[in-house]
Amino acid sequence: MSTTAIGDHEHEEHGAHDHIHPAPEGFIRKYVFSIDHKVIAVQYFAVGFLFFAIAGLLAELVRIQLLVPTGAIMDNNTYNGVYTLHGSAMVWMVIIPLVTGAFGNLVMPLQIGARDVAFPWLNMISFWIFPVAGAVLFCSFLAGAPDAGWTEYPPISVQGPPGTSLWCIAIFLIGISSTMTGLNFMVTIVKMRCPGMTWTRMPLFTWATFATALMNMVATVALSGALLALFLERQFNVPFYDPARGGSPVLWQHMFWFYSHPAVYIMILPAFGIISEVLPVFSRKPIFGYKMIAFSSMAIALLGFTVWAHHMFTSGMAPWLQLPFMLITMVIAVPTGIKIFSWVATLWGGRIHFSTAMLFATAFLITFTFGGITGIFLASVPADLQAHGTYFVVAHFHYVLFGGSVMGIFAGLYYWYPKVTGRLMSEKLGKLHFWMTFIGFNGTFLPMHWLGLEGMPRRYATYVAFAQSYPMAQFWNDFATCSSFIMALALPVVLFNMFWSLRHGVRAGNNPWGARTLEWMISSPPPYYNFKNIPIVLGLPYDFGEPLPYRNLDHETDPYPTPLPASIHTPPAVPAGAGV
Amino acid sequence: MLACRQAQEVQHGGRDTKSPHGEPPESAAGVWGATPHIKGEMAQTVTPQHQPVRVDRTFWLVTLGLTIINVILTVVIIALPMDYLLPGASLHVADRGDDIDFLYKFMSVFGNAIFVYVVGYIIYFAIAFRRRPDEPLTTIGVQIHDQPKLELWWTIVPSILIIILGAMSVRVWYSVQFGTGAPALTVEVIGHQFNYEFRYPGLSDSYFSTTAPMHLPVGRSVRVLVTSADVIHSFWVPEIRLKADAVPGLVQNLNFTPQHAGTFDIVCTEFCGVNHSRMQAKLIIQSADDFTDWLDGMKKQQASSGGGGVVALAAGDPNAGKALFAQKCSVCHQIAPFDQKLVGPGLLHLTDDPQHPTLVTGQSPTPDHIAAILHNGFTGPIGTMPNQAANGLSAGDIANLVAYLVSLK
Repeated sequence: MSTTAIGDHEHEEHGAHDHIHPAPEGFIRKYVFSIDHKVIAVQYFAVGFLFFAIAGLLAELVRIQLLVPTGAIMDNNTYNGVYTLHGSAMVWMVIIPLVTGAFGNLVMPLQIGARDVAFPWLNMISFWIFPVAGAVLFCSFLAGAPDAGWTEYPPISVQGPPGTSLWCIAIFLIGISSTMTGLNFMVTIVKMRCPGMTWTRMPLFTWATFATALMNMVATVALSGALLALFLERQFNVPFYDPARGGSPVLWQHMFWFYSHPAVYIMILPAFGIISEVLPVFSRKPIFGYKMIAFSSMAIALLGFTVWAHHMFTSGMAPWLQLPFMLITMVIAVPTGIKIFSWVATLWGGRIHFSTAMLFATAFLITFTFGGITGIFLASVPADLQAHGTYFVVAHFHYVLFGGSVMGIFAGLYYWYPKVTGRLMSEKLGKLHFWMTFIGFNGTFLPMHWLGLEGMPRRYATYVAFAQSYPMAQFWNDFATCSSFIMALALPVVLFNMFWSLRHGVRAGNNPWGARTLEWMISSPPPYYNFKNIPIVLGLPYDFGEPLPYRNLDHETDPYPTPLPASIHTPPAVPAGAGV
Repeated sequence: MLACRQAQEVQHGGRDTKSPHGEPPESAAGVWGATPHIKGEMAQTVTPQHQPVRVDRTFWLVTLGLTIINVILTVVIIALPMDYLLPGASLHVADRGDDIDFLYKFMSVFGNAIFVYVVGYIIYFAIAFRRRPDEPLTTIGVQIHDQPKLELWWTIVPSILIIILGAMSVRVWYSVQFGTGAPALTVEVIGHQFNYEFRYPGLSDSYFSTTAPMHLPVGRSVRVLVTSADVIHSFWVPEIRLKADAVPGLVQNLNFTPQHAGTFDIVCTEFCGVNHSRMQAKLIIQSADDFTDWLDGMKKQQASSGGGGVVALAAGDPNAGKALFAQKCSVCHQIAPFDQKLVGPGLLHLTDDPQHPTLVTGQSPTPDHIAAILHNGFTGPIGTMPNQAANGLSAGDIANLVAYLVSLK
């Protein structure tokens, strides 16, 4: 490949875009220390999925332990380490890297017609911090596992086993990675959109990534500060959180949640973005209320910074201070509701193809709505006094994070897999994966709502007293555990599907779904430089009846993209089954 | 050329006359009419033909059906006792619990309504608007982008719902925070790894047998002060619905009036260490008479047994205390400012140090509280101070020591 610019350029004013770098050569530069955003995305996905499998197995250990009230397989210390690592890994090493690092990296530059992110080397460094941080986190298990839950409230975390310091280091590292990725994406989206890609023509996944990047950049610093203080207190006895020496344990909670509440939206907004891409494509219909969805992402991002203390209603704060946090939290339900109604309205009048990606997107609507409604209960201070610290909270955030983020991740996996590999994933195996996940998920987490309200606290290695006061306790715990097996067995199905389809999947072509965003206008997998000619954008990417709103594309492209027959299967039983 | 072929295929799109809703297609300006969005130059060469879908009779029938389901479920939610969700709801164990149960019921009605409509429409749309197997792949849906009126409605209606829920929450919040009048009884709860200590007024020393249950009388307004001696714990009685974290260095209060006698579990809901899941105590709510009998019994018991007995603080002798201090305490404590530590802090300004206005327990330095530390000992980050038994202090010794420490300036 030539080091000079390729092709003829109609738009010399965008000279910076026209310079194409040579593709790297050699295995190491191509696949290990790559600066190509697409390769980095796949690396993020591979490592993230590995951690997902490990953290998922830890979750199964938790569920197996709770089969009997006295604890089935572990002593208390092991159990505490297992759920702490499960939570920490799922939040920081699985969902956040997958939704930002993997999907953000893969899709966002393609959607805005850029040849890479703004700072490719920074991107590479961001990625390589991630497996290191993950390794440190999992190694903490060997050093004496951190045991105080993913929130690690002091003073118990100050007294915690040595692994807690490793935990601090791991989370601190991944925070650096997140912040750099956030900065990178911000600059990329602000500065590198192709000509004609105005803010109101940006695909919704890119909007969501923008809001996420903003939150990553601003919020993560608070967590880093809190972690540094915890580390200093643990290692050097600096009393930030010790009330006997002028510190305050509640200080940690404020700093921690000032990050970790926005982090909830860091985890869910990209999933919103994925859903906003998948629903219109498979409904063959424009997304309903584009501007409302885009702006509500920003509204959620900004409001998300002002509600952190709703995690602390029982922690001790001035009573009047509970009011603003409660009310602003409830206000967030309005932009979130607007999004959900807009997605449902997108289905209306469509010609819906129930591919696996669409099934996950539809399931997302149902489970996330449920998680949102239980969120209102938790937002209300008096109701939270009962539910705080119980399995109700566990149920709620799994409905939001699994039923939201992970369903979104799976939808995105089936949707963008052909762009990365050039082949479609098996729809049959995909649907098996979907139904096992959906049924197993609801069976696992739905009973936790009433288990929590009836009096089962979180982070319990045993529940002997609770089983006495609530006779159904063991039944519902066993029900949840058995359901979680179904969910866990779905994991080998999707893993097999991913590897099998690499060689045996149906060839996808450039645009198997008949989608209209820019990433589908280039070959699958895309070339190193993505776009030989920087495209020019004339309109929104969701108008299925209109000709494509692009000019200057590299390939001659059908102006009315149509899904490949191979990419669509609609067994009649599936939509009816969605009601189960 | 390609464009022309596609344009014809696109004409198959939209909904044809065999619409499952049996209504002939209306004019292009349907209720949710198509609004052309792209003004690009290519868009002018081909105008796709859409036959827009109307909000038809089926839609309204489904809406009616969902409304009926909603009404039925609402009636069920209102009629069913909350016991299915919340423990002891029909017992009305405490006054504030009833308010909170009402709030749960109230929010369940709203949440149920939203959930049923959202899921109902998703299922209806998934069935009615799915692509039939025989349809060409070029088929597209109706090309509508937005409907400002509809969007305005689904912004306003949830906003109103949120205002109602918010107002109701504030009302219940107010009753929880301020609704119980001046407390007739104040009980202190101190969390320890891994049990609770309860202190009662009139038992001038703490009643600290950590294996014993907490007692509360029916019908008297109670204030429970919650704090911790080591890490963060939580004080929760599921049947009472109230919860407060026991945070070291912080005292929180819960106010309520027990209304129903019985024995309930006190549960820790903040992770506090290896035996967190075994940190429990019993709460015995009993009639006011039984409670008074119990409290009097405790007083008598404490007075008669020397070690755990009532310390007559007023009778303490500072000089005897001084001698005792040199003998028992000076290994670890100096009579010097706080920072001059041997093992524990210097105690010269125990009661009047502006830098350290509270004791290590977070309590104000009153004689009672000082006596409690001497009695119970203290385990904190600084180290461990043995309790009265380990130090070999009688009730009188404690009174003398307190008198001495208070006399220091």
